[in-house]
Amino acid sequence: MRSEKLANSCGKYLSQLMDNDSAIIVLDGDLADSNGAIYVQEKYENRFIMCGIAEQCMVSMAAGFAVEGYTPWVFSFASFLCYRAYDQIRVSVAQCNANVKLVGSHAGGFTGRNGKTHSAINDIAMMSSIPNMRIYSPASPEDTEWAVGEMNKHDGPAYIRLPREAMSSGTWKLGSWTWITKRTSVAIVTTGLALKIANQVREQFKNLFDEEIGIINTVAIHPVPQDLIEELNNFVDYVIVIEDHLTSHGLAALLKCHQLKCKIDQFGWPIDYMADSGDYEDILKHSELNPEKITTHIKNRYAFNDNYLAR
Amino acid sequence: MSFNLEEITHDAARLRKEIVKALHTTGGGHYGGALSVLDLLITLYKGVANIYPEEPNHPMRDRIILSKGHACIAQYCILADLGFFDVSELAKYGSFNSFLEGHPDMNKTPGIDFSSGSLGQGLSVGIGMAMALKNKPVHTWVIMGDGECQEGQVWESVMLADRYKLNNLTAIVDNNNYQELGWAQNSEGIEKAPIPRISEKFASFGWNVMEIDGHDFNIIHKALNKAKEFKYGSTAIICNTVKGKGYELFENDPIRFHCGELTELEYVLLNN
Repeated sequence: MRSEKLANSCGKYLSQLMDNDSAIIVLDGDLADSNGAIYVQEKYENRFIMCGIAEQCMVSMAAGFAVEGYTPWVFSFASFLCYRAYDQIRVSVAQCNANVKLVGSHAGGFTGRNGKTHSAINDIAMMSSIPNMRIYSPASPEDTEWAVGEMNKHDGPAYIRLPREAMSSGTWKLGSWTWITKRTSVAIVTTGLALKIANQVREQFKNLFDEEIGIINTVAIHPVPQDLIEELNNFVDYVIVIEDHLTSHGLAALLKCHQLKCKIDQFGWPIDYMADSGDYEDILKHSELNPEKITTHIKNRYAFNDNYLAR
Repeated sequence: MSFNLEEITHDAARLRKEIVKALHTTGGGHYGGALSVLDLLITLYKGVANIYPEEPNHPMRDRIILSKGHACIAQYCILADLGFFDVSELAKYGSFNSFLEGHPDMNKTPGIDFSSGSLGQGLSVGIGMAMALKNKPVHTWVIMGDGECQEGQVWESVMLADRYKLNNLTAIVDNNNYQELGWAQNSEGIEKAPIPRISEKFASFGWNVMEIDGHDFNIIHKALNKAKEFKYGSTAIICNTVKGKGYELFENDPIRFHCGELTELEYVLLNN
């Protein structure tokens, strides 16, 4: 069992994959010792390219490597990668369908001391609205390794978003999505860091109301797995999406693009949230993602005994 | 690649007409920049670069990125002339059912090594290619506009290429002294050139720089070969060109013909 920053899980696992895959190279925007790429630099110095504080150049460079047969993995903070180099991702990578893998560490709205400039709370929105892009959002070191493996196997662009907070090992079955718990008709659908919050909500519900709320952990979030939609349509009446992202433009929004029969409520960051500096617990307590808020909301919404939504 | 001055001169004159015809047929376009880049581009393709029209993805081909993608009709005319695809496609440039996109698309057009259209990205792509190809006898050529060099990403690339001493990468700047609008119409006090002192700028970033007449085939040919031979880092060839070169109408109105249309009468008069 591990508890580690998923950026480190990513970097370490990638360096293992590189043992048997000579096409992989890593490009870094001067953040390797924070974003996990350092493990590659230490093991495969000649396959690690420092690009400096020049994200736009780095992303287009990666596209150049990709068309020459390499599998470039580009590392930076999610904010700088997705926002600073967005046109390069859109044009050099996505529109060309270049086999470039993008690693955005420090994703989400919990930035620690870093604050708003370093937050990435609409990266899912931006990366899901360009062609050919896949998005992965792991919640554990093992999820991360699974996602990195999938991304590397896939021939085409892909983006993985990794939170700043350390995450613990999970015992669930690895894959694009899975029930963390047994199947329930009221379920939280979550991804990444928000799994921590989902677990708190589930526990509170159990303790306060003696009700079971199941949790689905989604790792492959774009495109939304078709069998997840089928599962929700077949077995779930009420979905609560919890995500470390703008609530209006993230996983919930992606789910809603499909023909879903169930009701959906969603929790995440509001558009005017600016991720001021602060400790994870302090921010959580005062935000829309406060587990108690979510628990109360669910309780008010769903009459469990009668299995219907109160309003 | 064999360089024949007489042949290239005639080819260029012929392809100038093809460019104007193709653009006029398809509703107008970037006359100015296509005509300014033609001479340096044709010298590269026909006089220096290793290319394989019958095998557009030949691994040992030189890589050519037209980063100033809006001038691609010039590139398309050259590629058609070399046999990468049929000349008849030029009349469909930018049309719905054509594989000649308005800006170069490597997934649609044979002979396009990388897509372009959003200025400033090509040199970075070229760095990736050059690094990937460093142990191979392959050169990567990136053709940029002078206006394009206003993009910050270009200078990120210039700095990084210098750091890695990429001697298999050459930037060729079509320095036609105009952009779309820019400061050309400004009154005194503000420099009008897209990149004033452009050679000094590249040189100050550590590059090997040549500044030449971008319409003198002999000199272009020599400069390209010198760039290929230069072993200590990347080379920038600043080609001083005339926007709209070859036609007085275009040369006299670089702003109208950055991206413009000809009347039928103008087109007829041009061809006489």
